[in-house]
Amino acid sequence: MNELFAALYENNWFGLYNQDFPLIFDNLFDNSGYILMGLSFILIPLVCLSLFYFLWKYPYGKIWHWLVWLLVIILIVSGVSYGIANTEIFASNNQALNDALNDASTGYDNYAASLPLKYALFNGALTLVLGFLYSLVLKQISKIQIHLPF
Amino acid sequence: MAKKLYVFGIGGTGSRVLKAMAMLFASGAKLENGFDVVIPIIIDPDTSNGDLNRTKDILRLYQEIRNQVEQPDDFFSQEIKTINELANNSAVVNPDYFQFKLRDIDQNTFNQYIGFDSLGEDFRNSTDDKNFVRLLYSEQNLRSNLDVGFKGNPNMGSIVLNQFTNSDDFTKFGQTFNDGDAIFIINSIFGGTGAAGFPLLLKNLRGNSSLPRYAKISVSPIGGITFLPYFSLSRQDEINSESFEEKAKIAIDYYNRTIISQNKINTLYFVGNRGNTNHEDYAVGGQDQKNKAHFLELAGALSIFDFCKNIDAITSTTQIKEFGIEKITENISFDDLNIENAKQLSTPLTKFKLYTEYLNKGLPKALISSRWTKGNIKLVTKSKQSLLDKNYFNSAEYKTQIQAYNNYFDEWLKEMKENKPAFSPFEEINSDNALEVVKNKVPNGNKSFKSLDLENCLLSDNVSIRSTEKKHTTLIKMFGKTTEKVLLKRNLLIR
Repeated sequence: MNELFAALYENNWFGLYNQDFPLIFDNLFDNSGYILMGLSFILIPLVCLSLFYFLWKYPYGKIWHWLVWLLVIILIVSGVSYGIANTEIFASNNQALNDALNDASTGYDNYAASLPLKYALFNGALTLVLGFLYSLVLKQISKIQIHLPF
Repeated sequence: MAKKLYVFGIGGTGSRVLKAMAMLFASGAKLENGFDVVIPIIIDPDTSNGDLNRTKDILRLYQEIRNQVEQPDDFFSQEIKTINELANNSAVVNPDYFQFKLRDIDQNTFNQYIGFDSLGEDFRNSTDDKNFVRLLYSEQNLRSNLDVGFKGNPNMGSIVLNQFTNSDDFTKFGQTFNDGDAIFIINSIFGGTGAAGFPLLLKNLRGNSSLPRYAKISVSPIGGITFLPYFSLSRQDEINSESFEEKAKIAIDYYNRTIISQNKINTLYFVGNRGNTNHEDYAVGGQDQKNKAHFLELAGALSIFDFCKNIDAITSTTQIKEFGIEKITENISFDDLNIENAKQLSTPLTKFKLYTEYLNKGLPKALISSRWTKGNIKLVTKSKQSLLDKNYFNSAEYKTQIQAYNNYFDEWLKEMKENKPAFSPFEEINSDNALEVVKNKVPNGNKSFKSLDLENCLLSDNVSIRSTEKKHTTLIKMFGKTTEKVLLKRNLLIR
């Protein structure tokens, strides 16, 4: 699973991966940072949309309810992803990484500071896509919100 | 085997009780002891009578709606048929067959009907005599047009109504009568048609050997309800409501001698109201006679249920039963009835009231957003699409059948509320306090139609309520179940 998520996050979209800073990515890989971020965009929308489709007993649901709920889920996933990345990078026990972050001449500090936001945005985008796909599946077995998003 | 109950409604009161009976059936009340089919038969010479035509229209709508429901099990579950449908095995809905036709009354005055002009004036040399007839009938009686009924004169009614047993309709009635079937007769004792028609009809049922299946009919269970005066008229003219009580006493004496003491009927119910009665607009008949619905007519309809319920306990001697309520009040609600009647009425009427109120006040909101009104949901199977979408609610069948019937139901409740004593078990509601519908009962939590919409959503794709062939199946079955669920959850029913 780690390999799978590493392949997803170690790409150049959003400038997520830079081979000049391997200590960061090795640390995320070794400490299951990728797994945590991956599971957050997979499980959080699943749980939240399950609440929406199965526990929300409101018979007048409209598409804007679904849109707002999806936006909330994106914000939750982005926030969680930001927190995971921030913790895994800046509160790591990896001495080599900490040394590099404390040495301004390595450029690690500046680069690492931008990463949590990038992961947050990337996971937010993934949540948007996955949330939509989840909705198409979950609505099939929903009794009340089967008509959402359409 | 399915048993049939033939319910004869004689005169204006008979029509109005049949209307109350139809409203109870529509609300889900059902006869016990296997009486699956009810055949209402109206006997009234006054063919343009407002009460009569309103009842016929209600019965027509009832049949049209029920025919569009696949195996109804709650609302509209009791089957109603005409004699014609039974005799000809026909499914054609024609309200005219609810009424037994009387011949030679359309254009005739009473004197023409009895051939008065051909009678002799000279009593010494003639075999018949006008003067003898004049002893029995006033000039006003003789000049009366028969197409507006007997204007409170049972002495006229007893002559004219004697013919209906020779009619094709009555023959068909006999032909369709089977073992286990029963008969119920509704009449008022203080008018013309009902007071005269009841003993005549009973006499023929028990003793007319030319009637097809006479052997079965003559020993069949027969019940009846006789209405004592329960309203008066706004002015006194040809029909004088001040004479209602006197006429009732005389008729009761006659019934006592000829019916009760001779055990001609198994169960005879009496209902009436003295004192605080309502004044109906004066009308001798015709379209103008459209009396407001009265609680006692609903009580009268309950006697039909009681008769069927106790059919196995009837004896050969006539049982007399009277209807009463627990508390004397001018505004009767469920709490004022005895507990058995309250249980009988509370569930069906409250359910149907909530259903009609919902369709009037709650539906627009659901049509915008509720899943149970969506028939074009993307990427889901057909079995999960609602059959009750905008197209259904805009259809001619919905508007001309469901809405029309519900309007009659609302009108019926409104009229009972405006009458004296008033029957007003329900509160005025809007979409925000819909569950405060039952008087003196305030439910906890959300009081809007939300819980009903929620239950509708949960039930929408349930296979037991769906039918694409019979158009009203889903609506009728869904609301039969969901209204009960909501009202039970909120403890709004008397059980």
